[in-house]
Amino acid sequence: MTDERPLVRVDDVTRTYGGVAVLTDVAFDVRAGITAVIGPNGSGKSTLLRALVGDTAPTDGTVRYHGPATARPIGYLPQRASFRGSFTARETLAFYARLLDETPDGYLERVGLSDAADRSVEDLSGGMRRLLGIAQATIGDPPVLVLDEPTSGLDPGMRERIFELAGQYAGTDAGVNATTDTEANAAVVVSTHDLELVDRYADRVLCLRHGAVAASGPLSAVYADHDVDTAADLYRSVVPGASSVADPATDSAESVHVTGVSTR
Amino acid sequence: MTGPRHGGVHAMTGSRARVIGAVLRREIATIRRTPGYWIASLGLLVVLAGVLAVGGGGETGFVPTIVDLLLPTELLVPVVAVVLGYRALLTDAEELAMIRTYPISTVEYVCGIVAARFAALLGMLVPFALVGGYVWLTASPDTTIYATHTGVDSPLLFVRFLAFVVLLGLPYLSLAMVVGAVANSRRGALALAALVLIGGVLGGDLAVVGTLGGDAGVASFPARVAIPPNGAFRGLVFEHVIGVALPPDDGFVSSAAAVGSLLGWTAIGVGASIAALAFGDAVTDRLARVRGRVESLRGR
Repeated sequence: MTDERPLVRVDDVTRTYGGVAVLTDVAFDVRAGITAVIGPNGSGKSTLLRALVGDTAPTDGTVRYHGPATARPIGYLPQRASFRGSFTARETLAFYARLLDETPDGYLERVGLSDAADRSVEDLSGGMRRLLGIAQATIGDPPVLVLDEPTSGLDPGMRERIFELAGQYAGTDAGVNATTDTEANAAVVVSTHDLELVDRYADRVLCLRHGAVAASGPLSAVYADHDVDTAADLYRSVVPGASSVADPATDSAESVHVTGVSTR
Repeated sequence: MTGPRHGGVHAMTGSRARVIGAVLRREIATIRRTPGYWIASLGLLVVLAGVLAVGGGGETGFVPTIVDLLLPTELLVPVVAVVLGYRALLTDAEELAMIRTYPISTVEYVCGIVAARFAALLGMLVPFALVGGYVWLTASPDTTIYATHTGVDSPLLFVRFLAFVVLLGLPYLSLAMVVGAVANSRRGALALAALVLIGGVLGGDLAVVGTLGGDAGVASFPARVAIPPNGAFRGLVFEHVIGVALPPDDGFVSSAAAVGSLLGWTAIGVGASIAALAFGDAVTDRLARVRGRVESLRGR
């Protein structure tokens, strides 16, 4: 894991909506490798990720990109990404790829959707739509990839597949233990409730509670600081009243929404 | 839209033509695959044909046909243009968030959408052209004469009418697009679109009529009637289509003012759409920042 200058520096970011603080003085560095953002629902994970990609401006504080100059510094998959239902997977990606003068097929292949390239988005399963979203996020090979709860509502196999892809993109070996020192190429920031996968794939962790940072840093160091062995134990130790970690069954059943042309 | 708005990201701007072309291509494909737009075109054809059949002008020639179609056109073209435009920029926030991570500016994005919708508006001419073709084939006396003198019916007058139909559709289309850019929901966009339609079709004429009793003299009426899109369109049709076949009597409308008005409303719509998308979030963010400062001052 490289630990030089961060790709993105988040400095004391505060964001309020209607006078209510959703994020309060959040500070952390985004470095190469996988950074898992965990925390209860409503803790500010999505707002933080939107601030990271520039979709939401902080009320106070700054988010600064320090990575290499590139046409697309940060790729993003929102929690409720929507694609036009009558478009095929290839057509969907082709639109985004054209914005960077690229072609879609390599990105479809990267996520294993080559065989489904000509299927319309409305005919894809929820997991395949999520893979399509990840392919979209990686177009142009941005140095920073931001994925907002990409595994919610998916079966265990697909959840694992998505974290494997995140690991491959970051340049670390898929399934590498977080304590292993592996050279990473890109940064992947992923918010998730899948704490078991955090243990297996993440290099760093950021735990939010009530919009503030409850724990942050390399996985092993954070575990040591809190005297825990797993992300689930970390979650319980920093989130008062959390008797159990988030149950995947309570996640939204379908987070990728299809916008059919008939509804436009 | 390029990159984080608050950070030090300076993404390289892609080729403007390429990114506008990408948006244009996707929008055209979306329009082509939306059954509602085909149904609207078919409905337009049915209504135009019905008006022609009832009015009987089609049996006589182009100018009588245009006289029959004038009033329905003033209502139908704005309706079709608003239907075509009101959801064009009602893109959901998540999709815009993804697009904003690519090197495309708000101006480029809106230009791509506008170009595609304008192209679709041209498709609206097909029902009119079919009606014109029918008249050409069936009307008597001879309508195949290309008029070079006043008082003579001609297909060229119908072509001129079609050009003015497009000019009437443009402002309604662009103003309807503003609706999509500022609305938060489909229902809100629909309500605002209805306001644009009623305001344009009825409100404009009523406002002009309302000025008749004021200090503004009758002499300036041709200029004033050109201000609302429908007045400008009607004036141009009288001046350059129907009036051509009648004894010389100009002064229906100031042609330059009418064309300027139609293009001006169009430009206002496009500019407002760009501003709404470019600065809408920034205004919200700035308000949140000001409110946060006020709250923190209160806390001290």
